[in-house]
Amino acid sequence: MTVRFEDIDKRYVGREHEVLALTGINLTIEEGEFVSLLGPSGCGKSTLLKILAGLLPASAGRVMINSTEISAPGPDRAVVFQDYALFPWMTVEGNVEFGLEARGIPAAERRQTSTELLALVGLSEFATRYPHHLSGGMKQRVAIARALAVAPEILLMDEPFGALDAQTRSLLQNEVLRIWELYKKTILFVTHAIDEAVFLSDRVVIMTARPGQIKEIITIDAQRPRDLTSPEMSAVLRQVRAVLADEINRAAALEQADLMAAS
Amino acid sequence: MTKVHPTPTDVAAFPRPRARQSRDLVSRETLLGMSTIVGLLIIWELVYRFELMPPWAFPSPVAVVVALYELALNGVLLENTMASVGRQLSGVILAALFGIPVGLWMGASPTARAAFLPLARMIYPIPGLAWVPLAILWFGVGFTSTVFVIFFTGIWPIIFNTMAGVQTLSGQYTEVARVYLAPRWLYTWRILIPGTLPFTITGLRLTYGVGWRVIVGAEMISSIVGLGFLIDDARWQLRPDIMIAGMVTIALIGWITEVQFFDWLESKTIDRWGMKAGVN
Repeated sequence: MTVRFEDIDKRYVGREHEVLALTGINLTIEEGEFVSLLGPSGCGKSTLLKILAGLLPASAGRVMINSTEISAPGPDRAVVFQDYALFPWMTVEGNVEFGLEARGIPAAERRQTSTELLALVGLSEFATRYPHHLSGGMKQRVAIARALAVAPEILLMDEPFGALDAQTRSLLQNEVLRIWELYKKTILFVTHAIDEAVFLSDRVVIMTARPGQIKEIITIDAQRPRDLTSPEMSAVLRQVRAVLADEINRAAALEQADLMAAS
Repeated sequence: MTKVHPTPTDVAAFPRPRARQSRDLVSRETLLGMSTIVGLLIIWELVYRFELMPPWAFPSPVAVVVALYELALNGVLLENTMASVGRQLSGVILAALFGIPVGLWMGASPTARAAFLPLARMIYPIPGLAWVPLAILWFGVGFTSTVFVIFFTGIWPIIFNTMAGVQTLSGQYTEVARVYLAPRWLYTWRILIPGTLPFTITGLRLTYGVGWRVIVGAEMISSIVGLGFLIDDARWQLRPDIMIAGMVTIALIGWITEVQFFDWLESKTIDRWGMKAGVN
């Protein structure tokens, strides 16, 4: 499946003024590609992901999957949220099976899928526990298993490791790569961490501060697993950092201006 | 939004044990609680001994225990307690059956809120007892009118709390439901109802408390059986020991219900889900 953003604008209309969050976004993501959206906070990268998820409407332009325009969530897409969004009142396996339950899959079949996927993410023995017993990294593994359960073709990950410590984060990055290679999903990955984007992606889409636009797309051909300390990867990191630096400064200035205006 | 969280007085009526940090602390807390009760009994007995109050109006603790024992033996206590408990349960269950769906609906639909919230806010502050005369006119003296009054005064806390529960439910759960294309019934059943349960249980607790507060008054005015009737009837016999025995019975039933039902309900649900401390 090929994803195409065509001339996407997103405006948030407030009571007093409207904010242009995204403008003129054109991007094609090929089937099986791992693409990261990288940018300063408030650049609209999560908004763009939610538009593809069908959770938010675009103000202008359209999103195409193959030759169909999308306007709502669909069975071809699943989302992994930053703060896991697990249901505390469902067991781990209940959470993993939720998407299948929504699709009316019989209980026995659901259980089979959740058992397989929990084994894949290494949480078999936690199947009947409740989420509040799990660490952040484990919760995000459950959320990934829940997304994989519905066999989506496109996996949307919205700063999934933003709340995790460095070690857990690195573990989960490797796990995502393993899953990606195993299942050949198309992945759109939102992050504000440069090394994360460079470590994972086929292409890193760097966005500008508000209004979010695509500033540059950097293609990384290096073999995986990547060693970010190698000369080759260091050069890529430097390149990405250079492109992003201006935007981060501009984002900080914008934020300051907002605070001044608000006070 | 209406303030419907338990007010300090509502919560303080039946304090629940906090998370058990250590055995030591729990036994210390229990000990303190027991000491206060024993202290009160001692002061009570002293007031009686030194005749600080006229003895015909102020019985000793022992007299109350004796009265309780006698009322238990001759079946009067059981008969009146069963009558009150029956009305109380009917009223509270009706209030829950009606109030929870209405609360879910008003929480989920801005239109429903706009339509019904102003009316609900106007009726809510009317004291339960104010409905009693009207209830007698409509339903006569006895079961139906009492249940009606409990229902009509008890339904508001559960509606308001359930509604608040829906409104504070994380929008992310809704997003997850949308992403996985959950149909409406599944969303209601698997997300809305369990997700609002911390609030719903608080509402139920309040409704239950309101029920007892109303029932005794209603039975004093409009009944020939029930704990309220027992207490009021003791006035004509100049039997303050029976009055207090009736009050003690209500206190015990309230305490048992808190521990045996509401705490149990929480331990099976929101405690187990880790949702008790903060509402996610």
